[in-house]
Amino acid sequence: MLRTLLGRAVLTVSSLVAAATAVQLLLWAAPGDPIDLLPNGAELRPQLEAEWGLDQPVWMRVVTNLGRAATGELGTSLSYRPGTPVTEVLAQPALNSFALLIASLVLALAWSAGLAAFTRGRRQHTSRLVRTLSVAPVFLLAHLCIHGLNEVTWSLMEAGTIARPAWFALPGEASAMRTALAVVLLAVGSGALADMHREAEQALISIRRSGFVDAARARGEPTFLLVARHLTLPLASLAAARTGFLLGGLVVVEKVLLINGAGAILWQAALLRDVPVALGITLMAATTVCAARLAADALRVGIDPRLRSQA
Amino acid sequence: MRRHLMPWMLGGALLLAGATTAEPLRYAEDRAPPIVNPLFTTTMSEARLAELVFEGLFTDDAKLSSTPRLATGLDLAEDRMSAVVRLKPGVTWQDGESFTAEDVAFTVAAMKEESTASTERGRVQFIQEVEVIDDLTVKLTFEREEYAPEDKLHFKVLPAHRFEGTAVKRSDAFRTQPIGTGPYRVKRFNDDNSITLAKFDQYHDSTRIDEITMREVADKNYQSKLLLYESLEALVRVLPRDLATLQADRKVELYPYQTNSWWYVGFQNNRAPFDDERVREALTLLVDIDALLAPIGTGEVVSGPFVTSSPYYNHEVKRPKPDARKAAELLTAAGFAKSGDYWSRDGKPLTLKLTAQENLETAQDVVIALQSQLQSQGIKVEPTFLGTAEWKAKVWRERDFDAVLSQWSFDRSEDVTEQFHSEGKFNFGHYANAEVDALLDQAKDTSDPQAKKALLREVHAKVADDHPMIFLWTLDSYSAISRRVRKVVIHPFYFFTWSREWELK
Repeated sequence: MLRTLLGRAVLTVSSLVAAATAVQLLLWAAPGDPIDLLPNGAELRPQLEAEWGLDQPVWMRVVTNLGRAATGELGTSLSYRPGTPVTEVLAQPALNSFALLIASLVLALAWSAGLAAFTRGRRQHTSRLVRTLSVAPVFLLAHLCIHGLNEVTWSLMEAGTIARPAWFALPGEASAMRTALAVVLLAVGSGALADMHREAEQALISIRRSGFVDAARARGEPTFLLVARHLTLPLASLAAARTGFLLGGLVVVEKVLLINGAGAILWQAALLRDVPVALGITLMAATTVCAARLAADALRVGIDPRLRSQA
Repeated sequence: MRRHLMPWMLGGALLLAGATTAEPLRYAEDRAPPIVNPLFTTTMSEARLAELVFEGLFTDDAKLSSTPRLATGLDLAEDRMSAVVRLKPGVTWQDGESFTAEDVAFTVAAMKEESTASTERGRVQFIQEVEVIDDLTVKLTFEREEYAPEDKLHFKVLPAHRFEGTAVKRSDAFRTQPIGTGPYRVKRFNDDNSITLAKFDQYHDSTRIDEITMREVADKNYQSKLLLYESLEALVRVLPRDLATLQADRKVELYPYQTNSWWYVGFQNNRAPFDDERVREALTLLVDIDALLAPIGTGEVVSGPFVTSSPYYNHEVKRPKPDARKAAELLTAAGFAKSGDYWSRDGKPLTLKLTAQENLETAQDVVIALQSQLQSQGIKVEPTFLGTAEWKAKVWRERDFDAVLSQWSFDRSEDVTEQFHSEGKFNFGHYANAEVDALLDQAKDTSDPQAKKALLREVHAKVADDHPMIFLWTLDSYSAISRRVRKVVIHPFYFFTWSREWELK
């Protein structure tokens, strides 16, 4: 057990360090820096390079930032919101993104499990339909949905059929419709639903064919709860595996649907070479992925008595 | 009784019809201003917002002549080396403090302060000293004779009491808690990156719209959609391809305005083969500028570094017309020969590596058309599009390019020194001509408008003759504004300068 925990801890820390290092190296390697974006950047360069530590070699910048991040200090934004602490910049958007992530994960799991229970390897038409719906990339689906929805609603408004809905075409303002759309798109698009459905279906078939389910069936006991309980483990692993994938989708969905989330800010921070902000978001994303893995492991240990006895 | 009520009811209805509402005027920006401090303006979105919150001693009237705003007037000394500026009494900052001459002195000192590193420093370099005579009088001493100092006193004044010293930092708390004397105060920065501005109740002048909201909409195509959907009331600049759609909409009015900006293809003048003036001229003669302009909008082709409406534009300099025969002669004289499809020298085809900015509107269309035109004339074109940070690094800092497609925008001073002086900080193409340097220096030193006009017209002629760039055009610009907004007059550079008169029905 101790070895497993230690292994997980090492994996988590190394994942965070790797992600934080990679994003910094990428941004430092890209041409241009935040000073270039100032009209009098050339004049200010010596002063700002010293102030922001850009006069140090790249490896030292990376190590310094990692050291600071380890103490929970993410620094201040350089160009996205100059002078504002990164934690302040990210507080609300990170919450928005986290809520979207959890909601889309829950929805994807519920749909894939429900569909798996319906198809169970037999209804090929339904599986094909799911694959067809899910194959479109998230960005394309998001564009189609938001513009299609706006156009149809606008036509109905112009025709006097409906009054202006509260959610209609309001950039930025919190909107239940846009949030719901984002959740659905993340749960379905870029093959998410098809992949999860396929994996859930395989797990379900395998559980239903297992000896303990046959035994329960022979005893005349209901098998639904038994199957559901055993399906929890593969679903938890599936959720953990999909977390990183959905985080990537967030960047695109938030940008297209004009949702104020960490993904949209990451995009801007990368364009503006704002390393502290990008680093903050990357660390949050990596922590989320690691936490999802740990949660899935904990769930497995909690549910499966064999794992507990091994520990 | 009914007879007595009727006029009142009618009057009430008329009053209601004419009254302004509490609805906000919403306008879109590609990116929300990261800070609101006019000492550090880096983008036009910041300049537009500053126009609503802050004011200068003078501003532009509708004819773009200087008119007092925080000043009531100025008395220029006979030797033109100083002026006494009288300030408007009864002006208060948005935190309730009184506006005084100390604020003017502080602003000039802060802008000039080395460690502040204000992006606006150049605007006050002509002021040698500021002397506070009393609360409402300030004396400015100039570096050299000034003929119309009011034209240079448009910089925004800041409240001295909100700063601890003249060394101001971009990261100071003022960036998110700006206090001005302008018609609107920043009410809040919203989580969705929008900024809500509310009418400043103690404003020293009148303003009619109660609230203005700046909305961040990164997708330019979506901005015009939002205007059509009535989710916005104003669009600062309409993309040429959206003009027809917006023009056809009965709820939207298009407002044309002239900008001091012109497009160009700039050569790297110290890199072969573009260090040869004959090659640069030949390339200029191979481009059909009208054909490039037609698909992207309307505008006027320019022959030099000023817009055609500028007093400095030299109308005697004729724009080059396409002339393939003369171009061939020039290329031959420069050692090139047509072999196969391309002009070549030493076995290498004449190749133009053209760099353009990704976010320059319609640049992609221009580059493709230019590529097609030049390739058909035997010049190889290799286009590259760069993001803003990459562009600033490659073009501005490293100056690593063959040719760039870009545009320059200027304020009313139309000062091209930094672009064409051999030591200019924006002279990325390393253009150097001692005569042009001397003319630009003289133009900078003189405050006599007539002399300046003559000098800059000569600059126009000489620069056009050297072909450091292919001067393209100044585009007609349009704003689109909902017809619910009345009495709209747009400032060509700052947009909101005259928004006090606007009404929202």
